[in-house]
Amino acid sequence: MNLKTKINLISVSVSLVITLLIFSLIILLIGQNPAGILSIILNDVFATGYGMGQTLFKATSLIFCACGLAICFHVALFNIGAEGQLNAGSFVIALVAVYFADLPFPIVFLFCLVSGFIVSGIFGLIPAYIKIKKDVSEVITTIMFNFIILALVNFFLLDFFAVKSTMRTEKISENFMLTKLSDFMPFFSGSSLNVSFILALAVAVISYILIYKTKFGYELRAVGFNKTASKFIGLNVNKITLIAFFAGAGLTSLSGINFIFGYKGFYEMGFSSNIGFTAIAVALLAKNNPIGIIFSSLLFSILEYGGLSVNQQVPKEIMLVVQGVIILAILSVDKIVNNYFERRL
Amino acid sequence: MDLISSIVSLTFIAQVIRLMTPFYLGASAANFSERGGVINISIEGFMNLSAFSFAVFSIATGSILLGFIMAIAINLLFSLLFAYFTVKLKLDQIVTGVGFNLLSAGITKFLMVYIFKSSSNTERFEGLPDLNFFESIPILGSIFSDYITIFTFALIFISGFVLFKTRFGLRLRSAGENPWAAESLGVNVRKYKVYGILISGFLSALAGMWLASNQNSYSDGMIAGRGYIALAAMIIGKWKPVNIFFACLMFSAFEALEISLQVSGTDIPAQLIQMLPYLITVLVLIGFIGKTRPPAADGVPY
Repeated sequence: MNLKTKINLISVSVSLVITLLIFSLIILLIGQNPAGILSIILNDVFATGYGMGQTLFKATSLIFCACGLAICFHVALFNIGAEGQLNAGSFVIALVAVYFADLPFPIVFLFCLVSGFIVSGIFGLIPAYIKIKKDVSEVITTIMFNFIILALVNFFLLDFFAVKSTMRTEKISENFMLTKLSDFMPFFSGSSLNVSFILALAVAVISYILIYKTKFGYELRAVGFNKTASKFIGLNVNKITLIAFFAGAGLTSLSGINFIFGYKGFYEMGFSSNIGFTAIAVALLAKNNPIGIIFSSLLFSILEYGGLSVNQQVPKEIMLVVQGVIILAILSVDKIVNNYFERRL
Repeated sequence: MDLISSIVSLTFIAQVIRLMTPFYLGASAANFSERGGVINISIEGFMNLSAFSFAVFSIATGSILLGFIMAIAINLLFSLLFAYFTVKLKLDQIVTGVGFNLLSAGITKFLMVYIFKSSSNTERFEGLPDLNFFESIPILGSIFSDYITIFTFALIFISGFVLFKTRFGLRLRSAGENPWAAESLGVNVRKYKVYGILISGFLSALAGMWLASNQNSYSDGMIAGRGYIALAAMIIGKWKPVNIFFACLMFSAFEALEISLQVSGTDIPAQLIQMLPYLITVLVLIGFIGKTRPPAADGVPY
């Protein structure tokens, strides 16, 4: 194991321990028993097929979204706009699936994948383009686009496409729904876990290969590492940045596939419940490594599902606090551990 | 009701000026931090936390004054923590900001359910006392009806004076423009960065309290992106107190317009009006105001 991996492992485990301590402290403060609460969570998540299925279902969307963000973050630019990007793509996916209901499933599905990807991708492309052309901070534009996209989707949904007196689109054809994993693994019965999860694992592996094993990924990381030097050795920095933002934002649309094709069958206002922001934390925790993202997505979805299972004793919102604590813990511990090793070397 | 006549009316103008208060406070908060070279995108979270703590402590103690003091104290502590991460540990300021926003939303949502057994809003409370001094004057009376709005107007001049006419301001700006040069001249750069962040925490506390006071309660999500709008106003205002004021007026005009559109029930969809401030921000940034130049070492950990 090289030193870098060792440092990463140390800082991730230390920050998880710190988070666990803070979590226990909060639970003690409100007069509950941390060990008891923790055992309920672990029991619910790991001991029942339903709990595990729901946890993996939640992880699916996070993996898609965080892998997309990781690609953006590798060029050392921020993308805080995943929430908007994924909503735009998912909305289009639902509409395409409804309006081409007569075509055979594979064609419709492919059509949905492509159109969702392009729409989400374009909303990633615009801030990157503005950054390149006008040097306007992508942090501000991606935040602004979150509001713009959500308002636009809301407008089109409510004024044109929503089922009367609801906040959702029409349901897609029953034949289009993806297979639930419980169909061939009865263990998961009742949960919404579907084949999108396998797609998510594939996307993570492909993103990993793309980032770490291909020429493009090498260039991507070079640009992120040192823009000036990359320009100097003849890389087209702007083009690489634009591709990264298009592809990264495009990938976030896949979380809509998990929700629409795998679970509800329609696009619904607010379906994403902030996974666009949670995914930032997920990608950070994994240091933008897609394989790591699989695990950090699992952790975050355990937190979310675990929150539901202890809601009787502790408000489930405690998990939002935990998510915030994790980000700050990993950031600071990582810095401190790195400083420590730098001094010793 | 005729929309045009409602917009040109004096009550509308009074409304615009009143609604400017949280935007200007938030934008100034961001500005003091960035003048010292620290990007603070968690203004939204800071405002949220103070609105909540103001409501909680006012309700719990029955004293608005105690609520006011506690809200400021908690925000200052939160800013110190932010300063520890960004100045002491030199962490990435954007990511820290995202973390603080998540943390603030998490803490308030959690405590809401724990304390008030409700995920939407607290019980009502009185809010900040009205200022009756200008009551007899027709328009001024309705604009300057609370202390925070008056302070906000004073702040336009105070922040201009502090930033550009005092030794403190010069040193703060030097920390944001060229910390290395400042340090070589004996300025304790990190100390000034922390001061900037603390001022940021104080001003955003006022913004949050004004919002909670305005609706006499705290409700989940009540900041509704105003902290981000404030950041945009700061950029559009090119980090200058007077320009920021005009940018904030534009944003509050949109908010007032949205309210009167809802009241008058026109055909223009509310979502499109809600979208306008954000769209205009992007358009303005792309190039209708010329080049904006942030402090030279803005966002650079030092």
